[in-house]
Amino acid sequence: MNLKSLRGLVLPLLLLGAWEYASRQDAAGAYAFVPLAQVGAAWVEVLGSGELLVNLWASLLRTCTGLALGIVGGIGLGALMALSAPANRLIAPLFHALRQVPMLGWIPLIALCFGNGESAKLLIVSLAALYPMVLNTFESLRQVEGQHREAARVLMLSRAQQLRLILLPAALPGIAAGVLQALAFAWVTSVGSELFLSSGAGLGSLMMNAEAGARMEIIVVCVLCIGLCGYLMSWLCTLLSRRLLRWRPTR
Amino acid sequence: MRLLSLLSWLISPVALLALWALLANAGLFPANLLIPPLEVWHSFTDLLATGELQEHLTGSLSRLALGFVVGALAGLAFGTALALSKTVEAYCAPLFHTLRQIPSIALIPMFVLLFGVDETFKIVIVAKTAFFPVALATCEGVRAIPRSHFEVAAVYRLRWTTLVGLIALPAAVPAIVTGVRVALTRAWVVLVACELLAADSGMGQMIEMGRQMLRIDVVMVGVVITGVIGFTLDFGLRRVERRFTRWQSR
Repeated sequence: MNLKSLRGLVLPLLLLGAWEYASRQDAAGAYAFVPLAQVGAAWVEVLGSGELLVNLWASLLRTCTGLALGIVGGIGLGALMALSAPANRLIAPLFHALRQVPMLGWIPLIALCFGNGESAKLLIVSLAALYPMVLNTFESLRQVEGQHREAARVLMLSRAQQLRLILLPAALPGIAAGVLQALAFAWVTSVGSELFLSSGAGLGSLMMNAEAGARMEIIVVCVLCIGLCGYLMSWLCTLLSRRLLRWRPTR
Repeated sequence: MRLLSLLSWLISPVALLALWALLANAGLFPANLLIPPLEVWHSFTDLLATGELQEHLTGSLSRLALGFVVGALAGLAFGTALALSKTVEAYCAPLFHTLRQIPSIALIPMFVLLFGVDETFKIVIVAKTAFFPVALATCEGVRAIPRSHFEVAAVYRLRWTTLVGLIALPAAVPAIVTGVRVALTRAWVVLVACELLAADSGMGQMIEMGRQMLRIDVVMVGVVITGVIGFTLDFGLRRVERRFTRWQSR
């Protein structure tokens, strides 16, 4: 451990120092920049009361459910579009048109139709996960190498066999990349939807309540938590996909 | 034949529109919940005629432009510095990669408390959203310039300006344009989200007001226009991207 490797810590420490300094200037400063000790106390407070865990759990659960729905639906829809030209003709124009609307732009419309409960949020999260899954499944099935297709034809495999033995294994890495993207979208959208529909539990609702009460320390705790969880989940997902795709020869 | 295949792409959108009109006119649902397409079109022309739509659009787009230019320029400068200087990398990279993990949406409540609900907050958050993808793409684009290009330049004893203009820029620009495109579409999404939560004008605010007054037609007009703008921004930059990558051999 030499001194040089500590250089990366200089800037964060300076920023923290500036934050602490700003919080001690006057009342207005302390309102926006809460002292660091208070942030520490907030960690203890929300962890101790279970508030953080309950809301975090709600957000994570929604992300996972929405992600699962989006993955299943996305792979199905993407495969249908890639394998059947008529289906592609019918679905693609609608899909690409709807995809252009920003995810959070749907929220008011969905809230009007489905209320602002759990089902509306789950729908938004699943949609957010669906788009990258469809795109990636479609692309990776389309890009299966010609050699593989020819081999399948020579062996006179049935359509189901082709799908199971040739197309799906070849497309898996692309689909795994789609899952990684979908995870990131689902997590952001889950928290985002809670900011807008702040009924029920969730990190976003916790933040909105904290904003209403001007409790900056709780918001900081939530933001840190969101960043950390997002990072951990995508890390886990990468590890998992690397492990599951181990059989694949790397070029 | 070409016309026919073009027409076949229109089947499903037209079918959806027809189904929508049919359902709305059949009266199965209350008229204020399922608005007929024609009525949505009328409220669109109304909003245009009163100038309300233009006002919200200008508000949103000027915010987007200002915030994006600030964020993208900062990202460009920082990305280049990060790629070229080992010192900058050692001091800034860990903080940069940590902050990059935090989604912009999650920062909205924090920025509201820091900057208030006025213009500053929206411009700061758009700039923040634009900064990170541009900085990352610039850094990677500059790093990916093959070393051999510089060696050739050294052999030919090119001047420094020629080196940058003829060799470094063309090699790095495609990656940077991709970063700018991603940043712009993301910034648009985040800006609309901010306006939904807190604004006195803008597309997001128009949608939110429509929602509160149960004017689904206004909400729909807003959602469609938001989508069209997002598409136009993305499409335009894709064209630019293709222009810059045309010279590359494939």
